[in-house]
Amino acid sequence: MTISDETLMAYADGELDAAARASVEMAMQEDPEIGKRVARHRALREAMQSAFSTVLNEPVPERLIQAARGQAAAQKSAIVNLSIAREAARQEKPTAPLRWQPAAMAASLLLGLGLGFLAWHGSGGALIRSGAGGRLVASARLAEALSTQLSDDRSADRVVVAGLSFRNKSGDFCRTFYSTGSDASSGLACREGTDWRIKALAQSPRAAANSGNFRTAASEDSPAIRAAVEGAIDGEPLDHAGEIAAREAGWAASKKR
Amino acid sequence: MSTNDSVENIQEQIVALLPRLRRFARNLVRDPHDADDVVQIAVERALLRLDQWRSDARLDSWLFKILRNAWIDEVRARARRAKILMPEEAGEHIGEASMEREIDRWSAEASLSRLPEDQRLAVSLVLVEGLSYKDAAEVLDVPLGTLTSRLARGREALQEMLRLPEGDLS
Repeated sequence: MTISDETLMAYADGELDAAARASVEMAMQEDPEIGKRVARHRALREAMQSAFSTVLNEPVPERLIQAARGQAAAQKSAIVNLSIAREAARQEKPTAPLRWQPAAMAASLLLGLGLGFLAWHGSGGALIRSGAGGRLVASARLAEALSTQLSDDRSADRVVVAGLSFRNKSGDFCRTFYSTGSDASSGLACREGTDWRIKALAQSPRAAANSGNFRTAASEDSPAIRAAVEGAIDGEPLDHAGEIAAREAGWAASKKR
Repeated sequence: MSTNDSVENIQEQIVALLPRLRRFARNLVRDPHDADDVVQIAVERALLRLDQWRSDARLDSWLFKILRNAWIDEVRARARRAKILMPEEAGEHIGEASMEREIDRWSAEASLSRLPEDQRLAVSLVLVEGLSYKDAAEVLDVPLGTLTSRLARGREALQEMLRLPEGDLS
């Protein structure tokens, strides 16, 4: 009588019904080799159980106990993504502007990509369109803001506001921008040819909760955008005169001086 | 018993299960810090979905399943990030020094970590966590036959790596 190894395994794990169990036990009596195979299965089971018992005796981190009691959720929103959670933890400490770690930047950018690309419209129409080769570029409305507004011009009636301007490592001009209103978002666009190409986008949940407060939606307050800026910027942001000069030149890329 | 009482009751049951959730998470996830993060995510998700838990089902299996799904979500998110932003990190874990292999040859933990994920999880749920085949299959969302064949293959590989001495029946 041959018995499959899976049956012996199931026997060792206590998974067989009475009839099947009886037939295995009969076979074990007839053939010591079968008994040895069962014993091996049992030995493995015991080895695995004891190998992993140490973690059971470790103290459980307080944050997990709080989470299980529903206390963490009351203090802050539920974690949706590990990296974002860590980013959030990092954000609890006040950080100096423009100082981030690359990993956080990657995570933040993804947040921007994931949430932003799908749902990103300022009040009054899309701010982003698909350009040549499927690249995401500023819509006419956003492009106009990016091409004409100066950073220190913060008229209260603007829905789309251009923020910080700087030159990236290729010499292209880049600008942050944000939209206000219920779906306040922020982003970074760089001038490529005649387009403003979108480099990063982020929705700002804090801004959404606090709409009307322009400062909250400003690019400096979105970690994703700040990180994108830090990754791209070459030198210092443009000052007022620098922006005017760049605007005069149509934001055309220039060789670095 | 008021609804509130029973929610608190379940919360305390979850607290009591935390050590096992952490253990399962460590078999699921390589990094212990990640493992605890996944436990936290799973527990928070579970509390949001308490209404989906059938009280005749085992709470541990249900939590294991949520935990595993949370990890799947995270792995997918990481794969997307890796593709979009960090191609150089892809395949980070593929190479493994053969010296290292020899050194932890006898370690059950190292052996388990070397199994393919589907076998590793089957072994982890049945042998380490003590779930029935049926409950383990449910956690992993696979038919019973799939679970048993993964378990059999995982066991075979572990026997080979660990070279357990043959037991004595008498």
